[in-house]
Amino acid sequence: MDNRSLPAVLDSLAEIRRYVKEAADRAGIEEARAYQLQLAVDEIATNIILHGYKDADASAVISIGSEMSDDALVITLKDQATAFDPRTMQMPEAEDLAKPLEKRKIGGLGIFLAIQGVDRFDYSRKDGSNVNVFEVRTRGD
Amino acid sequence: MALDISVAQSPDEAIIKLSGELGAGAAPQFREAVEKVAEAKPKRLVFLMGELEFMASAGLRVLIFARQKMGVSVSLYVIGSHGPVLNTLTMSGFHHSVHLQDTYTPTE
Repeated sequence: MDNRSLPAVLDSLAEIRRYVKEAADRAGIEEARAYQLQLAVDEIATNIILHGYKDADASAVISIGSEMSDDALVITLKDQATAFDPRTMQMPEAEDLAKPLEKRKIGGLGIFLAIQGVDRFDYSRKDGSNVNVFEVRTRGD
Repeated sequence: MALDISVAQSPDEAIIKLSGELGAGAAPQFREAVEKVAEAKPKRLVFLMGELEFMASAGLRVLIFARQKMGVSVSLYVIGSHGPVLNTLTMSGFHHSVHLQDTYTPTE
């Protein structure tokens, strides 16, 4: 599918989710895994918009692209905000997830859901851009 | 798809029905609804989620907020949640703290 550049605002998230759903449908990914991929991309895009581009002006954009191979769909999100590798965030452990809500920290779940929701998540910093890669295998294992 | 919220309130309980997509953009609207119903200090806070098609972590954060704002004496119910939305709730361990039910059945 064509790459798309969208304004880095929360209103773009619905279009990002639609883009991922279309790509997943074309790749023949079953519904539950397609949803997990949508959620993963949505969470990282949200983080970019709310934190990466926190002080950015209206020209800030977030780009999404997709590639399909024989056995996988790869979605790529790019932005030009401050370098941020989501993999460096501390993930909640099983004991954190078992805590009652009144003892929970408000944050920290988004990146956990993103990384857990795909078969491979990768990050790199290239030519001043953050590049977040989400891969879902199209063949069951 | 946008998020639709409707609220019904009685002295003992507040019911918030969510339909559509609950992403980061819509979460403030949801949080506002929780803040509003919390003012009446209900004993039970019920979220009808059977028509919720998408929920990001922003929605989970509002549930955490609801618990922390209203305190442990208020019971939280999530009703009708299914498929991937239910999976997100259980993956995040929320089944330890809220009543997950197919149909609303108050336990106390």
